[in-house]
Amino acid sequence: MTIFEYFITLMIILTINFFLPRLMPGDPFLHLSGEAGLEFVTFTAEQREYFIAHYGLDRPMSEQYFRYLSGLLRGDLGFSYYYKADVAAIILSRIPWTLLMVTAATFFSLLLGIFLGSFSAWRREAWQDKVTYLLIVIFSEIPVFLLGIMLLIVFAAGLGLFPLSGAITPFSGYTGFALTKDILHHAMLPVIALSLTRAGGIYLLVRNSLTTILAKDYMRTARAKGLSEGRIRYRHALKNAMLPLVTRVTMQLGGMVGGVVLVENIFAYPGLGRLMQEAVFVRDYPLLQGIFLVLAFSVLTANLLADLLYRFLDPRIREI
Amino acid sequence: MISRSYFKQKGLLSLLLILLMLPLIAIGGCGGGAPASGPDALPAAKEIPREALTISLEGGDWGYPSPFTHYPRGPGIFKMQLIFDSLLERAEDGYIPWLAESWEVSEDGKTYLFNLRQGVKWHDGKDLTADDVVFSVNYYREHPPVSIFFGGILLDEKHVLEVSAVSRYQVRFVTAAPNATFLPAVGSARIIPRHIWERVDNPREFLAPEAVIGSGPYRLIDYSKEHGKYRFEDFDAFWGPRQRVDVIEFVPVSDPVLAFEKGEIDLIEDLSPDLLHRFQNNPEFSIRENPGFWGFRLRFNFERNKLFQNKALRQAMAYAINRQELVEKIARGAAIQGNPGILPPQHVWYNPAVPKYEHNIERAKDLLEQLKQANLSFTLLVGQDREVRIGELLKEQLAETGIQLNVESVDMKSRDARIREGQYELALVGHGGWGGDADYLRTRFAGEKRDWFSGTPGYNNPLVNELGRRQFAEVVENKRRELIFELQQELAQDVPEIPLYYTTGYSVYRPGKYDGWIYMFDHHFLSHSKLSFLER
Repeated sequence: MTIFEYFITLMIILTINFFLPRLMPGDPFLHLSGEAGLEFVTFTAEQREYFIAHYGLDRPMSEQYFRYLSGLLRGDLGFSYYYKADVAAIILSRIPWTLLMVTAATFFSLLLGIFLGSFSAWRREAWQDKVTYLLIVIFSEIPVFLLGIMLLIVFAAGLGLFPLSGAITPFSGYTGFALTKDILHHAMLPVIALSLTRAGGIYLLVRNSLTTILAKDYMRTARAKGLSEGRIRYRHALKNAMLPLVTRVTMQLGGMVGGVVLVENIFAYPGLGRLMQEAVFVRDYPLLQGIFLVLAFSVLTANLLADLLYRFLDPRIREI
Repeated sequence: MISRSYFKQKGLLSLLLILLMLPLIAIGGCGGGAPASGPDALPAAKEIPREALTISLEGGDWGYPSPFTHYPRGPGIFKMQLIFDSLLERAEDGYIPWLAESWEVSEDGKTYLFNLRQGVKWHDGKDLTADDVVFSVNYYREHPPVSIFFGGILLDEKHVLEVSAVSRYQVRFVTAAPNATFLPAVGSARIIPRHIWERVDNPREFLAPEAVIGSGPYRLIDYSKEHGKYRFEDFDAFWGPRQRVDVIEFVPVSDPVLAFEKGEIDLIEDLSPDLLHRFQNNPEFSIRENPGFWGFRLRFNFERNKLFQNKALRQAMAYAINRQELVEKIARGAAIQGNPGILPPQHVWYNPAVPKYEHNIERAKDLLEQLKQANLSFTLLVGQDREVRIGELLKEQLAETGIQLNVESVDMKSRDARIREGQYELALVGHGGWGGDADYLRTRFAGEKRDWFSGTPGYNNPLVNELGRRQFAEVVENKRRELIFELQQELAQDVPEIPLYYTTGYSVYRPGKYDGWIYMFDHHFLSHSKLSFLER
């Protein structure tokens, strides 16, 4: 049943993916006004017609839709109008970078959120809690692009600790360990920006659920048994607070994509987010469909993983 | 049951722990945060002579630089042009001979004979001959390149009746009628090697290394779509002026000013006036104000609102709009106010004698009196951000003469779509290309094709039509120039649209590193000129 539901969801998403870009005003071959300062090629009316026919956009919508679906079945995501390359190839070359951003940021925001959240919960209402709370709320309310620019100006331009842009040093010829180091070095600032703005939600969640758990009877029982403080906190309390966290992290994935778009733009990072923004701008239908598909697919996968992980973490669900 | 789940969870936790440790270990490895090494760590792709000069410029992905696969934007076009030559080249003051050493135009203006330079080599060592030129034109007819020259006139078989190789180094074009734009059109078409492309059926999907074999001064050595980087090296057997720059690199840049200050790039091309002070009064830097060839214009929809047919109303609006205020407030001084004669002041054929319509509310009010029309109210279609600010300022300015303006803001693509369909009353459009061949005065205001896209439907001025037609058919440059001057005069009188301002911006570089930068006569970016990298 669940698999069937996921399939239906996927079909609906595919349909929306197809029609949404085409509902946007304008088309891929219509340029009249340019980006500030930039020259561009204007197509004459005939050239525009030529391209529209060349890419089959003059065919009825239903025909285009079925051609898109049958292409997908054959694993063909189409050919990008603007980038003039296979959509699958373009996306595949970008995915690792975005994956690096998303996993690293999820990981660090979790680490930070859990650590500070439990710290606050143990010291609930004490000054340490209040200061942490205030700082975290401030940080998570700064829009990620602003935080990114601040980090860029202070740590990259000012102190020179990090590179200004990109994912690797161009033409460095690095391989092996030097390359890994270079990649991580470039990823640091964007990941920090994303993690800091994402940690707030996790912090609040951990802090609240731990506070509730700490007041439970079984905590008193654990203390009565004479268990060590560390064992009580981490084995009994934190473990029970993990459940809502799993939901939170997977649900956050969608929001994370929004943050990634902004961060990749600030740092000229070669991920999917920046690609998506460019594709929207030039109305590259096949590329947009491809990116939306990948994003939808990853969010669905994350949800599926959450479902499975939940069963694993919570024996009550498993037994139903 | 309890013990089983205990182990399972324990297993999960240790797995999580390991996953947590991995990035920590890796990051620990780079904890020192050693700064990334600069361009001195280049791979030995080629033996670089002792004083080799590498210039780094702002990168970003602009497509694979073949004539069919680069993206339809300036940075994509000029990268392709580093590799591919054309018969003529654009220099500071106009076209200069390039692959064509000389050319002759027949008396009736219909036949062109180009004498090609001999000994020109393709990057793969083969000779470039008249065959390649003929092939290029025929191939483009079947497969139009991304960047199309002068509305595709070269590809129009009704106009170009014959393209033939008269000898190994002579090409003849026979056209149906004299056409002033034919020389620049044929002169700017990129010549591609026949021995490579004759085997290619779908050039838009041809991404092999052979696709970037040209005859130009630079060869593509490295390109990464995802990272937006390019590396060009000089072509040793280039026929023309020696390359002053040996290697041109395009690197990803988050912020050009920061990257320039850190020495990652060697040129800022569009510096905002607010940041100018960082480089002023410092001999380390040279600052140049870019020519104003990117402009905003206010378009009237003559069919949607018949009131615009009234010249007095258009003139009144020209007087009422304070273009200098727009320059100061919106462009922060980095612009030149719009010329009612349309061509920007730095255009090679600018006529300085046309009426200027200096801001004058009284004149505007007098002209509006003649209309005997109370409560004038129009809707202005604008894009976003800066355009909204322009719209709001125009609204204030026009309100002083009693004209009410409603500003409607939509995203850029929607605005373009609505203009194409004629769904607007007044529209603001900004674009480049104002430095190009003055024939755009004809296509905008006197073209035969009255579509919303390139022309001005509903506008019909017999004198403009006549002058437009005559300059188009005039192949003698001085005569044509006179006609264009007259045309500007009439357009300024008649105000078929109001150019608001042409943006300039600043370019900054370190002359100590490289000072060969030049502007082409019709373009506003230093790096887009091929000659910027060559000996002059």
